[in-house]
Amino acid sequence: MSDSTHRIITLARHEYRSAVRSRILIVLLGILVTVTAVSVYIASVDYASKLADYQAYVNAATTSGLDRIAPSPLAALSLLRGAMEYIEIIGAVIAIALGYLTVSRERTNRTLPLIRSRPVTSGELATGSLLGALGVIATLVAVTAVVGIVCVGTIGHDWINATQALKLFLGYLAAIVYMGAFYCLGAIATAKSRVAANGLMIALGIWLIVVLVLPQIGDTMDADNQIPGGLFKALGLGHDGEAQILTHFTTYERIRTWTEEASLAKHFERFSFAMTDVKERYRPFNLPWLLGQTRNDIGWLIAYSAALYAGLRRTFRNQPTIPQGGTQ
Amino acid sequence: MNSPVIELRGLSHRYDTDPVLRDIHLTIEAGEIFGFLGHNGAGKTTAINILTTLIEPTSGTAKVCGYDVVTERRDVTRCIGYLPAEVRMYGHMTAAENLEFFAKLSGVTDPRKAVAETLDYLECAELANKRVGSFSTGMRQRIGIAQAIVHRPKVLFLDEPTSGLDPLGVRQLRDTILRLNGDLGMTVFMNTHLLSEVSKVCTTIGVLNHGELIYKDSIEETTRRFPDEASLEDIYVRMETAS
Repeated sequence: MSDSTHRIITLARHEYRSAVRSRILIVLLGILVTVTAVSVYIASVDYASKLADYQAYVNAATTSGLDRIAPSPLAALSLLRGAMEYIEIIGAVIAIALGYLTVSRERTNRTLPLIRSRPVTSGELATGSLLGALGVIATLVAVTAVVGIVCVGTIGHDWINATQALKLFLGYLAAIVYMGAFYCLGAIATAKSRVAANGLMIALGIWLIVVLVLPQIGDTMDADNQIPGGLFKALGLGHDGEAQILTHFTTYERIRTWTEEASLAKHFERFSFAMTDVKERYRPFNLPWLLGQTRNDIGWLIAYSAALYAGLRRTFRNQPTIPQGGTQ
Repeated sequence: MNSPVIELRGLSHRYDTDPVLRDIHLTIEAGEIFGFLGHNGAGKTTAINILTTLIEPTSGTAKVCGYDVVTERRDVTRCIGYLPAEVRMYGHMTAAENLEFFAKLSGVTDPRKAVAETLDYLECAELANKRVGSFSTGMRQRIGIAQAIVHRPKVLFLDEPTSGLDPLGVRQLRDTILRLNGDLGMTVFMNTHLLSEVSKVCTTIGVLNHGELIYKDSIEETTRRFPDEASLEDIYVRMETAS
């Protein structure tokens, strides 16, 4: 192991241990796990009832000698929709709080000069901190995943199979990348602000725009969302008809698409919903097809995260170790 | 003759338009205990910050252990230890955990052993498993020195190491500095106000006045040069008023 790798691991472990000792973080984690458990529990109770109905139908059809039995319209993974939505909203806040704590902890303890007077580069500091935070995020995501899977299995009476487990793994992997991006945002905003709390406020402001405002604008601008059930469905138009109408609104649709594309949260939502069978149209297809369909969202998720990581490295490089104009 | 461990050539620094260090030329040889004196705001801490690679000079060059503090930053940080003016460290961690963390960052191969040896050397092994957040100023200062020497650096930078210490703490610190210099051969660069300690500890002094180095010589030569003055404090006051 190289000296640099050794230092990065040391910094990552330090970040992880310090973060899990933070009371604020423990409270936020508790909230996320609780709301996830409640959401999946409620969905699972409803699901168990529907599953029992379907089972009764299968039994009746088998008894009456029917050759063709309709496939189950139910999707166990879709019960985790709430879990993914909470990660999208609360998970992002937790990640921002983690980033804020990374910077404010060093400022409060005045330990940055002690670290930077050692052979530690700003890149190693950024990478080590991010890896430690990703460790915390992975732990959090794993806890919510276990809670969700156990609820679906025990209450919904439908344990997920290996293929579903793989899809779920990819969905949660995307959640870690997504939250990692917000960690970088929180750390960058805090490091760039003289007063750490101001940085936190700025990061939360950006979170508000990216996670809540932009997707909402995009959804509201979607012509199909103008009436319940979908405008085009109400007009009796299929996909081709819809596409034909939208050719008359290309600029409008382009602006709407850009608005949605600008939101990191939207890309995570699309991918995680595809992996958890939330969208009915995705359910009949296998994993390679789904990955192909969501490659744009995967690309944007990676691009946003990579850009924010680069920003974190740059910010740590330019961050003054000693406040300028301080003690002489 | 010993080789120079610290070399400043035309070193200057300014914060915005405010000059803090002006054209400093200074050489400190291996094994010296150098006391950097000067009034508040003279530029002493800025000099240490540059020498410990925490800030870059506006102009001029500075070398520590033969390495340039700007272009060979990593090599410099491998051979230095640094104690800032106010030691805090991670309050939620024990002294041993803090020291182990910094030892690992310095590339110490057996950090646990190095921490135990350092705490034994500084006669404060009883602090190992206590949280730093509960420490008094004196205890924090001892752990601060421990973090600065845990990797056995060649040069030790101390910024106002006696500030906040009681007389007993000051004496302990003085003994520690002399032992580090005598036993481990560390060169010590120390910013201080406490002139009584300087005369007991330092081999060489430098006086900084409004960013300019106005004097540098050994303690022996200094007392020889100013025979009329009773103490180093009198000599220092005379230098300051003359400049």
